[in-house]
Amino acid sequence: MSTPLVETKTLGIERPFRFESGRTLERIDIAYETYGELNGKRDNAILIEHALSGDAHAAFYHEGDQKPGWWDSMIGPGKAFDTDRYFVICSNVLGGCRGTTGPASLDPATKRPYGLTFPPVSIRDMVEAQRVLLKHLGVERLKTVAGGSMGGMQTLQLFCDYPSRSDSFICIASAMKHSAQQIAFNEVGRRAIMADPRWNDGNYDDDVSPEGGLSVARMIGHITYISERMMQEKFGRQRKGIGTKTVFRPSFEVEHYLDYQGIAFVKRFDANSYLYITDAADNFDLMASISSKGRFRGQNRERGMNIGDMRAKKGLVISFSSDWLYPSSQSREIVRLFTAMNVQVSYTEIETEHGHDAFLTDCGKPSQIIRGFLASLG
Amino acid sequence: MYKIPEENYPIIEDWVDRESRVLDLGCGDGSLLSSLVAKKGVDGFGVEISHDMILQCVQKGICVYQADIDRDLSEWADGSFDYVILNATLQVITRPYQVIREMLRVGRCAIISISNFGYVRNRIRVLSQGRVSSRIRLAQSWHDTPVLRFVSLREFRSSLEEMGIEVMDARYFFPLNVVARTPWPGYNLLAKEGIFKLRRAR
Repeated sequence: MSTPLVETKTLGIERPFRFESGRTLERIDIAYETYGELNGKRDNAILIEHALSGDAHAAFYHEGDQKPGWWDSMIGPGKAFDTDRYFVICSNVLGGCRGTTGPASLDPATKRPYGLTFPPVSIRDMVEAQRVLLKHLGVERLKTVAGGSMGGMQTLQLFCDYPSRSDSFICIASAMKHSAQQIAFNEVGRRAIMADPRWNDGNYDDDVSPEGGLSVARMIGHITYISERMMQEKFGRQRKGIGTKTVFRPSFEVEHYLDYQGIAFVKRFDANSYLYITDAADNFDLMASISSKGRFRGQNRERGMNIGDMRAKKGLVISFSSDWLYPSSQSREIVRLFTAMNVQVSYTEIETEHGHDAFLTDCGKPSQIIRGFLASLG
Repeated sequence: MYKIPEENYPIIEDWVDRESRVLDLGCGDGSLLSSLVAKKGVDGFGVEISHDMILQCVQKGICVYQADIDRDLSEWADGSFDYVILNATLQVITRPYQVIREMLRVGRCAIISISNFGYVRNRIRVLSQGRVSSRIRLAQSWHDTPVLRFVSLREFRSSLEEMGIEVMDARYFFPLNVVARTPWPGYNLLAKEGIFKLRRAR
């Protein structure tokens, strides 16, 4: 079987982009990929939202790569998001470091990376950038918008901000707002980065980036992404290379695993991006954001309107039994909100040992449900 | 799992107002809700515990919520629904009183159907074979039947009275497709099943 190839494209927006904070950038780039074809009626588009460390490369292979995109088990011909039927779009988030403008991008004014001069980013800013992309692609209306974890936040934000733009939403292992525990874990990750002397208040060059701090942040993340039981089953107290053990060098399997994850991450991720994106996720509060008035751009012309009348809209909320980072109670809260808004929401908690990572690594049952849900949309 | 009796559907369809909000507890594959949506234009919601049943509901486009009826009804606000249905499910839950109370808190009306353990065939089986289970519909042995509660129609009616619940309407199913609206003499021996439309007594 031939492996489907894809390339990341870049859309340059050559006009000022205004952030929710009120600050503007003169231009931005949006990196994106698409799979499948937009049909003649332009009604088969699906927007996929990525999580903290994801990117536009959601599916298929890049030329010469051994590994496909991060949600290739879900997106493709005959898969849950069936690219034979749907036109699937995924873009890198604003503030990211995988092609879309973020703190590591060069500021045209100074020819240096923005660093901390980059405007604060919100989940709504990410969604606004996607809206510009959708317009460019000629997509007026989405069949669904879907994402897990922080991707779920963007999903809910887009669905609420533009109720007329999407028939439905699929929100996986996410929350309407972070709990104290979720903020706390993110804060430890940010502190690890900022405590690295190479971070230098966000002014660093690519070749001397705060890798130590960023890898520790990632290691903390990976502890929270899997369940205690799975970690125990995978690693237990097994050791690696006992003979060569020197004091305080990693010797347990789990230490090597986290070390590996940390190192792999710093090769592809920017430390300032990590600060900006985790900050966006921590500050996300769906209820507060959809009930706030006097929004900029468009001024309620569309956003927020008809929010009480979503009777024809459908939602699917999925959580995972062993996910302790985004527990099922947070998903049930989402269901209650949208049910009260008259959206037809279904909810399922999938039994799995994979913890929060299940949305990436245990796609069997979610695939079945999503396929059924999309089929019911017609 | 055993099959949910479809003979109750026409009665439930008759009892439920057009375009009302309906919650079906233990909704199975969503067939009752599908029929209520199609025939009465209701806003239907199901509660199910099994992944496979949820999948079938989602495929049908029925709104379904994975939850444990015994535990999770507290998540809905008072009066969220017009009708809360428990069709052939009362006997599989561990805390029936709490669930019935919750049904009438979450909904204006409750619709509950049960099969009658006092029915003559059950009595004969217990007497002659000494077996409580192996009913026709619930064709399992005592250890793997989902049924936890064996209750007769008479016991159920007195429980309702005890709980201050008013029977607004009822149907008693006798053999040979005989259906009564009132508890005829001998109903606890001769009726196979009953279905009740309930509300809190004023």
